[in-house]
Amino acid sequence: MRDDLRPALFGTALRDRVLIRLALSENGLHLRELARQLDASPTAIYRIIMALERAGVVVSRPIGKIRVVLLNRRWHGALELRTLLERLAASYPEVRERAAHSRERPRRIGKPL
Amino acid sequence: MTLPDDASLVDVAFAACTALARAGETAVLCGGSAASYYVPEVYRSLDIDFVPRVQAARHIVDRALASIGYARAAGGPYVHAHLPYAIELPMGPLAIGREYVSAWRTDHRGELLLHVYTATDVVRDRFLHYWAWGDPMGLDVALAVARAHPDDVDLDAFRRWTDRERAADPSYDAGRVEQFFRLL
Repeated sequence: MRDDLRPALFGTALRDRVLIRLALSENGLHLRELARQLDASPTAIYRIIMALERAGVVVSRPIGKIRVVLLNRRWHGALELRTLLERLAASYPEVRERAAHSRERPRRIGKPL
Repeated sequence: MTLPDDASLVDVAFAACTALARAGETAVLCGGSAASYYVPEVYRSLDIDFVPRVQAARHIVDRALASIGYARAAGGPYVHAHLPYAIELPMGPLAIGREYVSAWRTDHRGELLLHVYTATDVVRDRFLHYWAWGDPMGLDVALAVARAHPDDVDLDAFRRWTDRERAADPSYDAGRVEQFFRLL
């Protein structure tokens, strides 16, 4: 994980970036994809997700053989948190840019990129 | 207190809630285990979720649950050497969607007590599983509780709650609410 001089709102800069990236996702992300997009180790991401899951802020659900992580819309402060994170994303342009280039909508099998 | 080897989820819930209450912690049975309490023949859970109101220190909770044979395992849940049920204390507040829960039902069995979501709140909670994530089991269990406890489930309050949730978050599908009432 790279050094980050930005002050962390949620404990660490990586935790901020995880939450922001999840806020920018409609359908959630696989742990490894999250780690790849944030230039972080899967282990570090896993620890953060476990802590956020215990707090009820995120949930993970199986889709096929993988587990996808997403913000928990059932959490009592979900709307406010998402709004805050979307605002905070302005401080993390690299996260926003990667999210913008990350395709979530369906794509026909075999169709060239 | 020693739990018998054939203790049910409800037996464990009463014992745990009482042990926690004696330690000064008011803990309310919620989630799937609360649904199991109302419709045990429809929904069985091996997780017993209590949301603590006081958030007592961990060593106090450890000692309280140790008195009924439960010990904290790595990762958080409390487990028993012989019983399949795990006790978890998810972080509060007690809430269903955006709304906080400030009242619950308290049942007694001799000297034991159990704080548990009301039937209406179980219907809200299980329905929200379906509403938020499309979990069909959530809808089935919400319907089962509403059918099994028609005098205890306030369907008008349920409908008003769905209206408030949709006012805050219009992405919730109104059609699923109508589906609930149609299937009831």
